[in-house]
Amino acid sequence: MNVASVVSAAPWRWPRWGAGGMLAAALAGGLLIAVQAGAVPVTLADWLAPFQAGDEALSGGAYVLWHIRLPRALFAALIGAALALAGGLTQGLFRNPLADPGLLGVSSGAACAGAATIVFAASLHVAPELRVWLLPAAAFAGAMLICVLLDRVARWATPGSIVGLLLTGVALNAITVAVMGLCIYLASDDQLRTLTFWTLGSLSAGSWRQVAALLLVLAGALWATRYLMRALNALALGEAQALHVGVDVGRLRTQVIVLVAVLTGFAVAWCGGIGFIGLIAPHLVRTWLGADQRRVLPLSMLAGGLLLLLADTLARTVAIPAEVPVGIFTALLGGPFFLMLLRRFRHGTA
Amino acid sequence: MTPLLELSFATTQLGQQYFGPFTVRVAPGERIAILGPSGAGKSTLLKLMACELQPQAGQVVLAGRPLAQWPLADLARCRAVLPQGSNVAFGLQCELVIGLGRVARLVDPQLERIVQDAAALARAGHLLGRRLDTLSGGEQARVQLARIFAQMWDVRDGLILVDEPLAALDPGLQFDLLDSLQQFCATRGHAVIAILHDINHALLGFERLLLVRSGQLVADIASDAGAVPALAALYGIALTTATSSDGHVCVIPARSAVRRAA
Repeated sequence: MNVASVVSAAPWRWPRWGAGGMLAAALAGGLLIAVQAGAVPVTLADWLAPFQAGDEALSGGAYVLWHIRLPRALFAALIGAALALAGGLTQGLFRNPLADPGLLGVSSGAACAGAATIVFAASLHVAPELRVWLLPAAAFAGAMLICVLLDRVARWATPGSIVGLLLTGVALNAITVAVMGLCIYLASDDQLRTLTFWTLGSLSAGSWRQVAALLLVLAGALWATRYLMRALNALALGEAQALHVGVDVGRLRTQVIVLVAVLTGFAVAWCGGIGFIGLIAPHLVRTWLGADQRRVLPLSMLAGGLLLLLADTLARTVAIPAEVPVGIFTALLGGPFFLMLLRRFRHGTA
Repeated sequence: MTPLLELSFATTQLGQQYFGPFTVRVAPGERIAILGPSGAGKSTLLKLMACELQPQAGQVVLAGRPLAQWPLADLARCRAVLPQGSNVAFGLQCELVIGLGRVARLVDPQLERIVQDAAALARAGHLLGRRLDTLSGGEQARVQLARIFAQMWDVRDGLILVDEPLAALDPGLQFDLLDSLQQFCATRGHAVIAILHDINHALLGFERLLLVRSGQLVADIASDAGAVPALAALYGIALTTATSSDGHVCVIPARSAVRRAA
């Protein structure tokens, strides 16, 4: 064991090239498989088409590749990375490998605000070019609202206690589920279809514009995370212990919560409810490479991207030309995984 | 000489139970043991000293500055706290846990050497590279003590607060670690305040005793043969004084007359 690399004071631990390289290579391979898979075959010539003919003239396989599959594959990988980072941050904050933004009510807060927008904003007069951003903005606001409430209520009711925060999350989750139910009750038939599809989770909204926006969000989140990782390591010792070694736990909690809200808000807004990526990816990395957050958080972004990319490719191709909502796949994969984790956790090996 | 730590009429309340007022002055480099029956408020007193609990009345002053006014990172560079039994999440590696004692230092070029030296001093050198959650209770206690050593390694005249550091250890290791702690504090001028269960450890390694009962400080006395009657009264037991083979005062506990009658 190389003690030097483990104990260094660096806020940022570059992953061992082996692990990081393997994950990056797997992700690149996954992207290639994802763009090849589908009803329309893609050839090598299609890759070169935009450079020869220009963007407007693309047709057939080249159009499918450059305007549909490639942005969608990248979008899936980026959303997976965002979900995994949000999950890893949440687990670090709660000192619990079973935590997930879903648990805090953040995901359902975002979903609930999105649903309310779909149902109630239909009659609203919004300029068409702004309409595209209405749902993301609402879901983001919902996630933030839940996060702020969570923080305020938990601090007022049970100051400093993480169990209190969790229970507050459970209560807020129940309220968002009720509001969601109200939205479904009041929705028209068309809206109901949109709501159902959206709550099941789908990556079909992926476009170059969203890929670019997500890249910016993820880069910002990673930048903000870099000094939180050592503090999150210290938090694993316990809240009081983290205070004693000089970590401002209150501030750390606020920072982590805001980051989780931003990441979850964007993911839910554009993809609906895609569960379990945030639970599985950090856990796989921890099991593989140990629990140092400086390694877990960056690498689980790669792992989460890979997982969601594979799930989405499966969802697109399993019943061509129809598309199964990817949330169903991640839930089918994640549910049993969660139970297995629970069993291992009980035996103290998680 | 200005006291390192000064509690003036500090009180706190946990549920229905009141603790204090505690008034204690700790000089730099002092070695103090806190003794008392279970539930007497020993840990509460230590938490007041550690800034983990805020006093409801009175105040706690460290190095001339009220504890609540210290920035956390500065505080972490001059006092270390080892709580009773801790639960570390995620199975971190031992060297990482020890290194976390120094997380408040943003630039720390000596970290690697200090972690290894601190581990060696706490008899945990052979545990580096292993996951903390795979260790026994006694091994974990040594790693945690090494973390405290690492935190205070390159500091002088600091304060170390420990809650039952020796509880999970075998008798040989108890002596070893007591010696390590004493040597560590003596060479750096650190004061140490330790909650102990074993009266003999308190008599052996500490120069002053704080006796706590029912949330009150009942005695603040020198740690020598003269303290034995107060200790017997504190626990409600009989204590026979003896001299150990290495020439130290030690006590042999027995049931008191009152307990025998009951």
